[in-house]
Amino acid sequence: MSNLALKELLYKMADDLLVFGHRNSEWTGFGPLLEEDIAFSSMAQDKIGQSQALYQLLHQLGEQEPDTVAFTRNANQFHNCTLVELPNREYDFSLVRHFLFDTADALRWQMLMQCSYTPLAQLAAKVRGELRYHTLHANTWIKQLGSATEESIGRLQQSLNELAPYALGMFERSPYEDQLMADKIFEGEKALEARWQQAIEKTLAQTQLTLPDWKIQTPHVGGRVGQHTEHLQPLLDEMSEVFRIDPGAEW
Amino acid sequence: MNSLDPRVNRLPAIGQPGQILPKAALDQLGTFEVFVQPKDGKPFQHEGIVHAANRELAFVLAKEAFTRRFLCTSLFVADTRHVYVSPTTEGNTNAMDQLAEVINQPGTAEAYDIFVLPKRGKQHVHVGQVQAVLPQEAMWKAKQQNLHQGKVVYNVWAIRTADIRFTTEEEKDLWLTLPEKKFRDASDYKGGDKLKEFLERSKTT
Amino acid sequence: MYGGGNTFEGIKTDSVAQEDPAKLAEFEARIARGEKIEPTDWMPQLYRKQLIRMIEQHAHSEIIGALPEGTWITRAPGFRRKMALMAKVQDEVGHAQLLYSAAETLGKSREKMIEDLLSGKSKYSNIFNYPTFTWADCCFISWLVDAGAIVNQLANAKGSYGPYCRALDRICAEESFHLKYGHHCVIYLASGTAKQRQMFQDAINRWWAPMMHFFGPSDKISAHTEVLMRWKVKMATNDDMRNQFLDMYVPKIWELGFTIPDPNLKKNAETGKWAYTEPDWEEFKRVINGDGPCNKERLEVRRVAEERGKWVREALKSPKTAYVTPLA
Repeated sequence: MSNLALKELLYKMADDLLVFGHRNSEWTGFGPLLEEDIAFSSMAQDKIGQSQALYQLLHQLGEQEPDTVAFTRNANQFHNCTLVELPNREYDFSLVRHFLFDTADALRWQMLMQCSYTPLAQLAAKVRGELRYHTLHANTWIKQLGSATEESIGRLQQSLNELAPYALGMFERSPYEDQLMADKIFEGEKALEARWQQAIEKTLAQTQLTLPDWKIQTPHVGGRVGQHTEHLQPLLDEMSEVFRIDPGAEW
Repeated sequence: MNSLDPRVNRLPAIGQPGQILPKAALDQLGTFEVFVQPKDGKPFQHEGIVHAANRELAFVLAKEAFTRRFLCTSLFVADTRHVYVSPTTEGNTNAMDQLAEVINQPGTAEAYDIFVLPKRGKQHVHVGQVQAVLPQEAMWKAKQQNLHQGKVVYNVWAIRTADIRFTTEEEKDLWLTLPEKKFRDASDYKGGDKLKEFLERSKTT
Repeated sequence: MYGGGNTFEGIKTDSVAQEDPAKLAEFEARIARGEKIEPTDWMPQLYRKQLIRMIEQHAHSEIIGALPEGTWITRAPGFRRKMALMAKVQDEVGHAQLLYSAAETLGKSREKMIEDLLSGKSKYSNIFNYPTFTWADCCFISWLVDAGAIVNQLANAKGSYGPYCRALDRICAEESFHLKYGHHCVIYLASGTAKQRQMFQDAINRWWAPMMHFFGPSDKISAHTEVLMRWKVKMATNDDMRNQFLDMYVPKIWELGFTIPDPNLKKNAETGKWAYTEPDWEEFKRVINGDGPCNKERLEVRRVAEERGKWVREALKSPKTAYVTPLA
């Protein structure tokens, strides 16, 4: 089994979850409805908890401590897709991003339940309930707002159109696709993308939203190899502001 | 805004600072009552309410509002309007004894879930299910079937089972990682050793 | 988090004389027996009014109280602190949700309460109008402001109104996490580098005055609350709660080698009461009335959140649901 391929997979998942959880935590206290504020915060906590668990697996494979990895790298060392680093806008944007990301994330974890690397398969089995909640939450909201008022439908549609190319960037192919498949670690981004499109279509069909035409989209790639938008570095600077006062200190 | 909070500095400008527009008369969503089962074998207990657009969303929102720590195996919600409420009693007066006799109603019987208030100030607790045509009849049947086990209760609720959004069997994994979320628990923040070590260190310097 | 104190100024008890004497006697007897009042019970107008006012202020204090600590939510150092602070700020929002619901059972809608918060008509705890300059300020709140809130909330949990007690039982269980987490953070600062220690000492110096204000004006100058004590709406006097807080936490602060910026702070071994420099109640009044360092920002943030959430709430309205008063 190749550690490089496995590590690449773990890094991109962990970085996705950390950055996404961090972005979504910015809503805590600012949400549109108290109950939703609470739910959205819980999911952000789940994501960050999952990222920590993945960094822990990486640590067991010889990488540095989770805190060091998460709080001291620069943007070009991060492997998250660009979708998750985009700054929050209005709630439609965050909700559609949540729907697009979590649909893929749940499927990815589901595929990993069969992973030949046992610690990852075990983690996938453990977090399946969290993922069930995240997709239940996303689908319920998309169905509700995607068929409610003219304004809500219009907002969701616009966010969907804008985010579609970034969402496709989630499936940027890894140089290790064949190896991951051969080692029975992961079935690959292509398989995931196909399942994701089906799932997205199924939910959107129950709304008044129009599915973006995937064929004419140019996926926003680069995130997986450390090429990010201008938004990631400021996010990381902010996240590590206190940590960097004295990285040797215990906080 | 010029704030110490970087998040606040990123908030968009909207409306007029300081100017509050009165809320629309209907800017208030429906309420849904939330019931939680902490452990298999334990009864469901009323935990509070959420505001939501419909039962499905109420279920989704109730999950994190009421079951994000401690233990949970199952959760259900019902529209507040679907809860039938008996008079409230006090002292030694049993609310069950205040119910009117309602029997042999025409129509098709359906399942109703019955809840009682065992003590003022405590939560309503689920005590069982009966078949009835009307909620009043359901309450009366609950009394006949002694669902309160002869104890004094201070209030009775009946909800038609069909009006409840239950947790499905496959959804029970929603709480799978809950016992591991120690970061939400006081027990995860024991500072005693660190404190002792610090006090020892301060003594010597 | 809530300090009370600012709640009961200038109540008029005239309306009590106009209540039905038989019903009033029955109501007071029930409370004297230690039974809880439930939403469908008869209650004096003044009781209802003061409870709404108190629970509502408490709820506002939670939702506004999420903001000063929220200032550091994106900057908490390391996974452990990051997860904990997210969960803690979330709890404050959760407490607001529980408390608004409890107040709703008395007949005032959540939306109306939020409107009154934004318009400045109803108040919230003064302490959240102060800024959190550093991570250590955030730790001060998590530990000591929450500790103060627990003193107040444990007292109120023994009050007479069922739904409020139920909400408080839940809240107090969660606050124990806040308190332990806060203390844990402070122990790490205290035993850390010189810079970390200094950060927390500075935080104490900044926050001590608001902390003393937290429990409200001295009993000598605060309004007449006898009837509210009898009805178990208000459960302890401001000075008693302040004294209890000092008794429990001053030794813990000193234990960590920090100083408290009040040369007169000393426990009288005979009476068990703490002596301290009388807090500046003029400043307290000024801040309550809108002139604190962060009042404008706090309300503006809530206003913006409301405005931005409007289209979402619009889209949730459905002809099939309607607002009703919650049951319990």
